Amino acid sequence: MKTKKIVSLVLGSMLAVSSLAACSTGNPGDTTATTGGDTPAVTDGGKQVVDFTMFAAMSGKEKAEGNDIMEIIAEKTGVRVKETWLTGQDAGEAIGSIIASGKLPDLIDGGDGSVTLYQNGLLVAWDPYLEKYPNLKELYSEEEWDKFRMDDGHIYWANVFGNSYNNTATPTGVNGEAFWIQNRVLEWGGYPKIETLDQYFDLLERYAAANPTLPDGTPVIPYTCLCEDWKYFCLENAPMFLDGYPNDGCVIVNIDAGMDNPKVVDYNTTDTAKMYFKKLNEEYAKGAIDPDFATQTYDEYIAKLSTGRVLGLCDQYWDFAYNIMGPFASPLTAEDGSTFRLDEIGCDYVPLGLTAKAGMAQQWNSYGDELNQSSGCAVTTSCKDPDLAFEFLSRLLDQDIHNLRFWGIEGEDYLVDENGLFYRTEEMRENWKSDSFKAKHTCEYSYCPQWQGMSRDGINRMMPGEQPSEFILSLAAPLQKTFEAYGVGTYTDFLGSAKVQTGPWYPLWSWSNNLSSDTAGGVAWKDMGEVKHYWLPTVVMSSDFEGDWANYMDAYNAVNPQAFLSEAQAEVDARLATAKSFGWTAPTN
Amino acid sequence: MENSILKSKRTKEVDINKPKLTAKEFKRQWILVVISAVYVIYGVIFYYLPLFGWIIAFQNFIYAKGIGGSKWVGLDKFKFLFKDKKFLMVIRNTFCMGALNLIFSTVMAIVFAILLNEVKNRFFKKSIQTISYLPHFLSWIIVVAIVHDALTSTGIINDLLMRFGILKQPYQYLGDPKLFWGIVVISNLWKETGWNAIIYLAAITSIDPCLYESASIDGAGRFQKMLYVTLPGLRPTIMILLLMNIGNVLNAGFELQYLLGNGLVQNVSRTIDIYVLDWAMDARNMDYSLGTAAGIFKTVVSMSFIVIANYIAKKRGDERLF
Amino acid sequence: MSDISGINFEKIKHKKKMATEDIVFTILNTTFLVLFAVVTLYPILNTLAYSFNDGNDAVRGGIYLLPRKWSLRSYHEIIFERAGIRVGAKITILRTVLGTLTSLFANALLSYILSRKKFLFKSGLSLFWIITMYASGGLVPTLILFRYLHLTSSFWVYIIPGMVAAFNVMVMRTYMLGIPDSLEEAAQLEGAGYMRVFASIISPLCKPVYATIALFVAVYHWNSWFDAMLYNRFDPQYTTLQYELMKLLDSVSASTGVASGAQMGASAQNTITPITVRAAATIATMAPIVALYPFLQRYFVTGLTIGGVKE
Repeated sequence: MKTKKIVSLVLGSMLAVSSLAACSTGNPGDTTATTGGDTPAVTDGGKQVVDFTMFAAMSGKEKAEGNDIMEIIAEKTGVRVKETWLTGQDAGEAIGSIIASGKLPDLIDGGDGSVTLYQNGLLVAWDPYLEKYPNLKELYSEEEWDKFRMDDGHIYWANVFGNSYNNTATPTGVNGEAFWIQNRVLEWGGYPKIETLDQYFDLLERYAAANPTLPDGTPVIPYTCLCEDWKYFCLENAPMFLDGYPNDGCVIVNIDAGMDNPKVVDYNTTDTAKMYFKKLNEEYAKGAIDPDFATQTYDEYIAKLSTGRVLGLCDQYWDFAYNIMGPFASPLTAEDGSTFRLDEIGCDYVPLGLTAKAGMAQQWNSYGDELNQSSGCAVTTSCKDPDLAFEFLSRLLDQDIHNLRFWGIEGEDYLVDENGLFYRTEEMRENWKSDSFKAKHTCEYSYCPQWQGMSRDGINRMMPGEQPSEFILSLAAPLQKTFEAYGVGTYTDFLGSAKVQTGPWYPLWSWSNNLSSDTAGGVAWKDMGEVKHYWLPTVVMSSDFEGDWANYMDAYNAVNPQAFLSEAQAEVDARLATAKSFGWTAPTN
Repeated sequence: MENSILKSKRTKEVDINKPKLTAKEFKRQWILVVISAVYVIYGVIFYYLPLFGWIIAFQNFIYAKGIGGSKWVGLDKFKFLFKDKKFLMVIRNTFCMGALNLIFSTVMAIVFAILLNEVKNRFFKKSIQTISYLPHFLSWIIVVAIVHDALTSTGIINDLLMRFGILKQPYQYLGDPKLFWGIVVISNLWKETGWNAIIYLAAITSIDPCLYESASIDGAGRFQKMLYVTLPGLRPTIMILLLMNIGNVLNAGFELQYLLGNGLVQNVSRTIDIYVLDWAMDARNMDYSLGTAAGIFKTVVSMSFIVIANYIAKKRGDERLF
Repeated sequence: MSDISGINFEKIKHKKKMATEDIVFTILNTTFLVLFAVVTLYPILNTLAYSFNDGNDAVRGGIYLLPRKWSLRSYHEIIFERAGIRVGAKITILRTVLGTLTSLFANALLSYILSRKKFLFKSGLSLFWIITMYASGGLVPTLILFRYLHLTSSFWVYIIPGMVAAFNVMVMRTYMLGIPDSLEEAAQLEGAGYMRVFASIISPLCKPVYATIALFVAVYHWNSWFDAMLYNRFDPQYTTLQYELMKLLDSVSASTGVASGAQMGASAQNTITPITVRAAATIATMAPIVALYPFLQRYFVTGLTIGGVKE
């Protein structure tokens, strides 16, 4: 991740005085409507294809010229969109420089810079088009749409992710956080029930003692932990989950006094926190934790995981899993000369929802959509034909085009059985995993509106990854066996989180991630982070845990965490009040 | 005799009659003046005009409101910086790493250039030089990955030290604040010495070969020639580069520090630029004013360093910038 | 007679001593330089090894001097898979050639003026340019300015703004100051004006420093990508090679990016990874500019003798 951020630092002195002077850029009329690819082509149908540009303030992969499905969609909708992604800047910098350069794309997802675009009056309001295009309106309920309204009462963007059609979410994967363990360890231990840290580390240690190396001679590491930069959540936020709370990210929101009387609690100072770090400290002393955990970079971390030598870790799925799938599926040579694959010997990780005490309910995974209203797909004032742009966004949600985007071309990318169920052959699946194939063939328009969940035909899912039949086939044999042993069908079931209605303030990280240093609480939040960055690895490696824990607490309390907590409480109260004004009532149970 | 060469050369450089601004002199130099004017116009447009952006350091600048609409806050942003103990700490880190880098990289580049110059075999000389400047083309990301590789608990350094029985257990070099600056300096030397030496190698070519001949006749050995002919010949270049780089001490990098740093060494690893990045560059709430204030502070310090150093150089009769 | 023989004897002894000193020095020096070369060669060889390694395998780390599992995929990816690369390469070559020539001329002329000892505004003009090295208005004011000058969405934004750089000027000026005044004076006596002196007396003597600065400027242009993104983000016809490579690298790093769970699993065949692509991109862009080096190198390694400089 650092490597991602670092590129933006390469500008050296430029950044030193990265000042924004917008004496005249605040004027939307100033920006000349210019778009790339201005020679409209004519499709077979005789329609003129309009070329739009789109910028998404995220990392992404550019599509090749003449991409197959892009051309088909262009033929059907009359619009072709050239996507450009973030390179070497963060979203704020990119949006700032795009505004200053006076050249905007037609469509934009400003990410964290979305508000800046709005404040500069560079976006076209969705409101009239929502009435005109029911496909778009269908995306959210009235209440949800209201969350997107800016202070002028209009809607300027729609978040496109995590939105399931008719609320028919069928979660298969766990994209969030858990203590992960290689399924061969569970198999070796006779598929035990692991609920606490003690049981977890005990199994890891015993397994490592009995199986100190992999077939190729690499020594195993029972547990490692990433603490680079903002990804130190792998180390720091487990106490929140261990106490049975969902991922609010910055605090625990205690609802013992009822859902309409939530109390913010600091998870850094709880008994559970101390217990957790003491446990890590003991394990470190025993040599069960990677000695380099405190200084490793993300690349080193991924390299370690890719060798299959790490038995356990705490992380969010997206942060490590996609990067190690390739290496896990590649053949390796064992010491005896035979070949093996890591996924075939059971190195794939499964999630464990550990708690402070056995038998507690936990919410490592929370069900339901997490609506992030702070950014989304938008049309700019530079767009030469806003109506066409909205029509296009709406057409993208038509089932036939949605299928083209995410399933591909029938017969070529997927097949349909006699019951109308979509399925893919091994080759088709492999194709859709290949970057160069995707650049030339697939066209997801991944930052434009889209659906998850059950498709309109009632048989298939909107996306292949959600299709249960497709999901099981994507698992390696030992993993299927482990799932069977525990009697579960998906990662979500494996983790076994309680199905609890989260509070209307959830997730609170959408607030803390955007805290600025303008307020005392914001300053405290930054300072707390710095203190924890130093002290958490220090207490884990300490030879005097109690003494260093006391030092840590002193340093922690010195940066005024109370200021942060009261602002968090205020935010929770405010979100609760907003929800109530829309008729939310506390569930009775 | 070496001294006499030195002296004559030095006095020649120092002895610059300051020209008087007279009509006759002006007429004689008109072409130079006209061309200079073109350069000044160019400089004003491309370097001085953008400086108007500095005024936002005195505002609570909000992008959407622009300079006209943002609130003026006077010196508040500067006060925020200097009240923060952490800012003083990052100044210390930046200055110390900058100074260490300046000293070591200058010395190493000169030594390398002089030693390379002593090589007689052209092929050998060319090969060594080409190899030595190649790391300049690698990004810090690659270099830091290699440094990390060498310094982890199973890396080559721990491996060697344990093999020779110097260490019993692997040592966490990257987590030790005492070692951080050293690692930064060495990484820098490794990557840039060959590249930095290029200027000195070019400068060596301007040394009058007669000086070597007469030094030989006087019985000077190779060491003496290096010390009394090559080094003094490099003196103007060394001085100019030193003067310019003194102004860059506070710009002494953040890419390397950022990539090498971690929570355990944050108190010695963070530089002014990293501080600005952490505190002013929130995507949502960019504090451009604070970032600009830090930038102005750096410029002011850099310029005062330069002026002082230039003054000293002038006093000593050395090469100077202006 | 004995006196003379004594001197002779002394001289011979002296010579012998010098010879041994010479040999010892040469051995030590050679050893040092070879060691230094080995140490600096390692990261290049390491990068080379990664660039030729299979992507998924490289993620596991532990590659040192030789690839573990050979693959040309990364090179294939950066050279053939993207249309932008060809345009980028064209623009980069163009800006490198044009930028180096214009910049060399602009810097040399200014250095020449600043190195005239009798020039009236020498100190003032020097200070004017030195300030530009340390004071920067920042990214966005610059962007706004360029927009008003119609430099955005154009090729010239690569050439014009960076043409004069104070650092290069100062390095050149120092070199020019080292050239004896007698030459200039002689020419002036023969009636040569300032520009004639610059063109036919000073410049030929400045080849080593011109070569140095040309190298600096060429490398700068060759490696530039940030300006391409900033000023020509939506003008693919002005993209540069490095910008295309940056985009490629970023997109590879984006892994599965979209956290929608749309795709399960990564392919074993999908063997490009940030590590190998970065390595291949490094090598691929380093090679041409390094190839340029021997042509410049002769100006400062062979120890050019400045004939006619003797006073």
